[in-house]
Amino acid sequence: MNTYKERLYWHIRRIVLNHDDTDDVLQNTFIKVYRNIEKFKGDSKLYSWMYRIATNESLTFLKKKSKKMGVSDQELKDRMVENLQADVYFDGDEIQLKLQKALATLPDKQKLVFTMKYFQEMKYKDISEALDTSVGALKTSYHLAVKKIEAYLKEN
Amino acid sequence: MKKDKKNSFNTPEGYFENFNDRLMDRIQNEEAQEGGAIIPKTDGFAVPDGYFDVITNDVLSKTVGKETKVIPLKSNRNFYYSVAAVAAIFILIFSLTWNSTSEPITFDDLANAEIESYLENTDFEMTSYEIAEVVSLEEMELTDMLGDDFEDDIIMEYLDENVEDIKELNLDDTDYE
Repeated sequence: MNTYKERLYWHIRRIVLNHDDTDDVLQNTFIKVYRNIEKFKGDSKLYSWMYRIATNESLTFLKKKSKKMGVSDQELKDRMVENLQADVYFDGDEIQLKLQKALATLPDKQKLVFTMKYFQEMKYKDISEALDTSVGALKTSYHLAVKKIEAYLKEN
Repeated sequence: MKKDKKNSFNTPEGYFENFNDRLMDRIQNEEAQEGGAIIPKTDGFAVPDGYFDVITNDVLSKTVGKETKVIPLKSNRNFYYSVAAVAAIFILIFSLTWNSTSEPITFDDLANAEIESYLENTDFEMTSYEIAEVVSLEEMELTDMLGDDFEDDIIMEYLDENVEDIKELNLDDTDYE
C-alpha cells in the first residue's frame, strides 16, 4: 500500500482536484482493492489494475457529485476549477490555474491521458493497461490534448 | 568593481557570480515564450503535512480486522412473527380496497418523460451488442436514428475516442481541432 498510495493520490487528485475529495476516493480505492484482491487475475500489472480502480472510483465520484448537486458534468468541472482559487492546498499561480481551466474543457479520456503522461510521466504501455485503450489511440488523444491546451493558453 | 589587470575594462560587482543564474532565467523565459513550453511543468497541487503517514492507518482501520457484527435472529422470533402477521393483514386489506377502486397499472400509464429520465439516469452497463439484442430492429425506421443532425464536433469527439489512429482517416488538421 505504501508503494502506491502517493502515486494513486496524485492520479486521483488530478481528476477530482480538491484534497478532501481525493482522500475519500483514495480510501474507497484501497478498500475496493483490499476486497477484490482475490479477483485480480494477474494478467496486468498490479498497479495498472489499481490505477483502473482509482480512475473508475474518481469518475463515479464526480458523476454522483454532479447528480447530487443537480448540475451537469461540465458545470461541476467549471465549479471545481473556480474553487481552486480559494483552496489552501493549491499553490498554483495564474498560468497553473489557466491550465486547470484548459483541462476542464477536455473530454475525460484526453484529460486522463494528458495528466498521466505529462505530469505522472507514465509510459504509454502502462497507461494503455490502466485505461484499457490501445497505445495508438492514447497517442492521438495526447496529441489532441496538448494542441487544445496550447491553443487555450495562447488565447487566454 | 572588478578590474582586469591587463587593460582598463571592468565589470559590475558580482557580475561573474550571478552570470549563471541570469543565463538560466533567460533560457527559461525564452522557452516559456516558445509554443512547446507554454504548458507549465507542475500543476500547483499540495497536500497537508504528514498526510501520507496517516492515510495508511485510516485505511487499515476500515479494512483489516473489521468483522461484521452478527445479530441473532432466534431470540426475537416471536416478535418478528407478530410483526409479519400484522403486515400481512394490512397488505391484504390494502390490496382488496385498491382493486375495488381502480384499474391495475399498465405500461401505457407510465409517462414517456419518466421512462426517458429512468433510462438517462440509470447506468445499465450494457454493450452495444447487448442493447442490439433487446431492441427489435424490425420495429425501427432508419429515420428514427437519423432524425437529428449531429454537430461536427460531436462526430469528431466520437472518432477521437473510438478510432485507433485518427490520422489514418486522412482528415485535415483544421477539420478536427
